[in-house]
Amino acid sequence: MPLNAVRIVWRVTRLNFRAQLEYRAEFLTMIAIGAVWQVSVIVFATVLLTRFTGMGGWDSRDVLLIPATRMLAHGLFVLFLGRMHGLGRQIQEGRVDAYLLRPMPVHRQAQLEYFPTNAIGDLTVAAALMAGALSRSDLDWTAGRISYLIAAVLGGMLLEAALFTAVACASLRFPAADYWGRWLEQLLGTFGSYPLNVLPRAVGGFLTYGLPLAFVAYFPAAFLTGHGHDTGVPYWLAALSPLLGLLAYLGSRLLWRWSLGHYTGVNG
Amino acid sequence: MSALHAWRAARVTPLGELYTPPRMTAALLRLTVQIVLVTSLWRGLYAHTGTTAGLTREQAVTYAVMAVLSTRVRELDQYSGRDTVLQHVHFGTIVYWYLRPLPPQRYYALRALGEQLYGFAWALAAYAVCLAAGAVQPPASAAVAAVSGLSLVLGQWIFYYLILVIDQVCFWTMRNDAAVQILLFAQNLLSGVYAPLWFFPDWFVTASGFLPFQATLSVPLSLYVGRVPLSDAGFHLAVQAGWIVFLALFTRLLWRKAALRVVSQGG
Repeated sequence: MPLNAVRIVWRVTRLNFRAQLEYRAEFLTMIAIGAVWQVSVIVFATVLLTRFTGMGGWDSRDVLLIPATRMLAHGLFVLFLGRMHGLGRQIQEGRVDAYLLRPMPVHRQAQLEYFPTNAIGDLTVAAALMAGALSRSDLDWTAGRISYLIAAVLGGMLLEAALFTAVACASLRFPAADYWGRWLEQLLGTFGSYPLNVLPRAVGGFLTYGLPLAFVAYFPAAFLTGHGHDTGVPYWLAALSPLLGLLAYLGSRLLWRWSLGHYTGVNG
Repeated sequence: MSALHAWRAARVTPLGELYTPPRMTAALLRLTVQIVLVTSLWRGLYAHTGTTAGLTREQAVTYAVMAVLSTRVRELDQYSGRDTVLQHVHFGTIVYWYLRPLPPQRYYALRALGEQLYGFAWALAAYAVCLAAGAVQPPASAAVAAVSGLSLVLGQWIFYYLILVIDQVCFWTMRNDAAVQILLFAQNLLSGVYAPLWFFPDWFVTASGFLPFQATLSVPLSLYVGRVPLSDAGFHLAVQAGWIVFLALFTRLLWRKAALRVVSQGG
């Protein structure tokens, strides 16, 4: 983005943040929501992970890396790219039509719609779990591994953004597509925290090639912890997860451009 | 004639889905995939484990699938029809609820009844399919079926009141997005949608016993799978009934106070 665009984005973000502060109870509650949502994932994952030790052949010390990676990726997604989720409402209310009249890309305007207060809670809890997962891990955290972990989190963020951008593209034509966005969020939260080889091959395949949430956290964590050969996909494919996240996001932005070009307004 | 009016109020939200076949297709696909995923997950978790937390594999899978079916009972989209309380308050159309020859609380209740009956039809059909496919175990006896069925009805009744309280908050706060999300999170976690409460630490189970959420789902499903024996059913049904009475009185009070806050625009 040109410098002026960066300045505008920064100013709008500050304005949005102050707007959130106007209703303090709502502001604090939204932070709490991010936190409790992530806590629910922690509770769900850790309660079950401790009840069913050795699931999928994973050691309990390593398996926490999966939910930790996913939640960190999710928190970053909510903070930077999350406004694609729920875009159907803005389309239905005719606000996207107004965006088309302004000298700023529609995608950027959508992302600047409001400040995602819940991301604060999201990231706080996610960071805590990641710290916990790393402290329990007996891996040797070399510079290479740390770099890969960072790439994995960013790749997961982009992959999640790609999925929700695709839903937003569908919303441009069918506002009710938001239904799938809510379900997608639920699936990522529920199934994104497990070693997927605990599932039958067909179901694991669905979560790899149909709805590719395995690439968000499971494959990167498997690669890092030496389970790369047990994932059900080629070793190199699991290792390349962060790059696939980037490619998926670029693809979704192309789809967005195409969809916007075919947008016919809120009433067709 | 009053029956006809009640019927029309009750079917308001389901019509929004029935008039939009793609949504019904989406709901069917989502439900199917969800059940397959949940069944696979729980069978996979139990692959190397016997009975844990007092639940066998069959009980846990049955519980998880029934939990998915239960969430289908109240999943209709009022927002697209611009018929949520929040939207009415924002747009000022809430005043029409008070100008009709039908009390707002009765309209709200009839609409909720229609939604739940519609959702229940879906859940019942899916239950029959899951029963035939072996994803769900049949109840151990007719008595278990009757008692857990009654408990399910009471549970949905409590859930109706919880949603109502959140909607009534709109008359004071003008925003309820955060409250809705908090409620849904608490509901899903504490009622056992994510995982049966029996898997949680004892202090967690005890703490949730003081809240209404476990009464909406965990109790009826635990009765169904036999985790809670029939001999203890009386106590649990009494607790559910107690929550209903308390919430009924509380929401009645809120309706009365909410009416005082409604002013015609320009007034």
